[in-house]
Amino acid sequence: MTSAATNLRSVPLARRFLNFTWLTLGLAAAILVFEAFAQPSIVVTTLVTGGMWALMAAGLAMVFGVMNIPNFAHGELFLLGSFTAFTVYSPIREALLNDPSLTWLKILGPFPGMVVALVVGAIAGVLLEAVLFRPLRRRSREQWVMNTFLLTAGVSVVVINSYRLTIGNDFHGVPAYWDVPPISLFGVPISVDRAMVLVIALVTITLFALFLQRTGLGRAIRAVSQDETGAQMAGIDLNRIFILTMGISCALAALAGASLLFLFPAYPDVGLQPLYTAWFVVILAGLGNIPGAVIGAFIVALLQNLTIFYIQVGWVDVLPTVFIILILLFKPSGLFGSAVKGVWEQ
Amino acid sequence: MLVRHRRRIALLGVLVVALVLPYIPPFTGEDYRRWLVGAAFMAAQAVAFDFTAGYINIVNFGFAAFVGLGAYTSGILAVDFGISPWIGMVAGGTVSGFVGLLTGALTLRLRGIYAAVMAWFVGLALMGLIRNVPDITRGSLGLAVPSLLESSENLPYYYVIMAMLIVTFAVLAWVIRSRYGLAFRAIGQNLAAARASGINPTRYLVINFVLSCAFAGWIGGFYAHYYGILTPDVMLTSHTVEVLAIAYIGGRGSLWGAAVIAFPLSIGVEFLKVQFSTLPGVHLVLYGLLLIVVMIYKPGGFAAVVRGLESWLIRSRPGDTATEAPPAS
Repeated sequence: MTSAATNLRSVPLARRFLNFTWLTLGLAAAILVFEAFAQPSIVVTTLVTGGMWALMAAGLAMVFGVMNIPNFAHGELFLLGSFTAFTVYSPIREALLNDPSLTWLKILGPFPGMVVALVVGAIAGVLLEAVLFRPLRRRSREQWVMNTFLLTAGVSVVVINSYRLTIGNDFHGVPAYWDVPPISLFGVPISVDRAMVLVIALVTITLFALFLQRTGLGRAIRAVSQDETGAQMAGIDLNRIFILTMGISCALAALAGASLLFLFPAYPDVGLQPLYTAWFVVILAGLGNIPGAVIGAFIVALLQNLTIFYIQVGWVDVLPTVFIILILLFKPSGLFGSAVKGVWEQ
Repeated sequence: MLVRHRRRIALLGVLVVALVLPYIPPFTGEDYRRWLVGAAFMAAQAVAFDFTAGYINIVNFGFAAFVGLGAYTSGILAVDFGISPWIGMVAGGTVSGFVGLLTGALTLRLRGIYAAVMAWFVGLALMGLIRNVPDITRGSLGLAVPSLLESSENLPYYYVIMAMLIVTFAVLAWVIRSRYGLAFRAIGQNLAAARASGINPTRYLVINFVLSCAFAGWIGGFYAHYYGILTPDVMLTSHTVEVLAIAYIGGRGSLWGAAVIAFPLSIGVEFLKVQFSTLPGVHLVLYGLLLIVVMIYKPGGFAAVVRGLESWLIRSRPGDTATEAPPAS
């Protein structure tokens, strides 16, 4: 494999600017602009679902980038988040139904559930690291990526079926968080719930990006993802970073589950679709690439919504897959992946 | 040499036990014999799965979809074209192998985790495809498939699937012992070193993947004509995880470990299902927990336990030590 430097010199100027990544991004942007006029509702739903997939995918990408764990149990954190939010929100909803005049509760009511879900998700992440990954890391780091993949597959099966055994197969959801008439965005009526989802996603992603870029801990996390040994030599406590990374990643997934409760009621398999969508995104963007995952999330959301609108909802798993396979054919390391090998590949 | 020889005899002994098992109470009952068929079906799948996961270290996460693809191919050939299930099963294996070839050629150039996840995507896409063409597959309603044998008893089916298990095991073990097996191991353990010693990894990886998928499809054909009804659910990822759990609990990279452990595990699970019929999914919790424990504490699985016992036996008989080679993997 040639290094990035020689690549730059040997690639003709025209191809450098007309490369595949920019073509894809340009195409996505063009479709968005076109749809904005032809079918604005697609743009709006793309923004809303894309925001949530971004929360899922950013966490997945971070855990892979920092800890080299391909987390197959990421969807179960989504489930955990949605069930936690349901549990916390139910009594609030009850109170609201009894006394509809509590305006402040009407506005703020859904937030406690989301905050608790965030905390529960973080705790679950810390537990996963402490109970599973750390013992495995201590025993052997051989074939780490594949072993942790299987480990998390086991976790996923255990969580889904334990949930089924204890709580059952029923749907636990809410029809709407904010029971008010829809507002209008770009001339498209959109429920307040969906608008809030977009706001929550954007705020969280911004905070997350600021944390990674501006704080010492965030820098430490990025350092570990680039060079574990080097980071260790610089005095970074790896165990602390691993716990933090896992906690944040799981908290983000749980938050996604909590804020989408009105769309995805809690039931055992609810995490499956968010899980594989998040995986679509990180494979498309390039494993371990967090900013790429955020952009990729919106591309995947666009693809899914185009499929649903123009073809049929049933094809929503088929067509994006074909598309991703095509992309990987041309750009095996993902849209934003570089030809330089990551730590986990060596 | 002697260890290997002894192990082969032990394996033959296990095989004989498995073959006479349906005549030993309580397995003489139809229900128990059905469990045996299920166990042999799982064993055959686990062997085909381990061929990829245990040797080239690529986890085919879409395994159940390849099984299901073979099942649907064979089923549709029998329903729409009246083709004999025996030929249909082979056709199912061919189709699965072909899709495996496409998937493998595309993804096996990339690192293992890409291949695993892409195989999973291909599996999801196949399941979506099957659901979305109800004109051919009857979608979620289920495709009624003619059965393989005239008899509705489980016993003949058991011997058919046992024969398929033996063929699968024999062929794959033969490949493993050949020059190819050596290359597979080399690639699975250290890709860069294998490449440096003149092996073209992609070619071997694809050969391995295609073989595994082809056997998956063939075994899937049996599933179709045994159960007689096919729904897209046969391709669910949870089925892949079941097979994966058995393969890893049995011991990765041993083939026989998976084949042997599948019987007690699968029968035990059926027993659990009957005992806790009000608790659906309890068997999957068990599989998942076992998988987690094996992954962390006993990565060699059941096969490593057997090997440990072997060397313990050898050590406790000092006269033997001179003739024994160190335990081969």
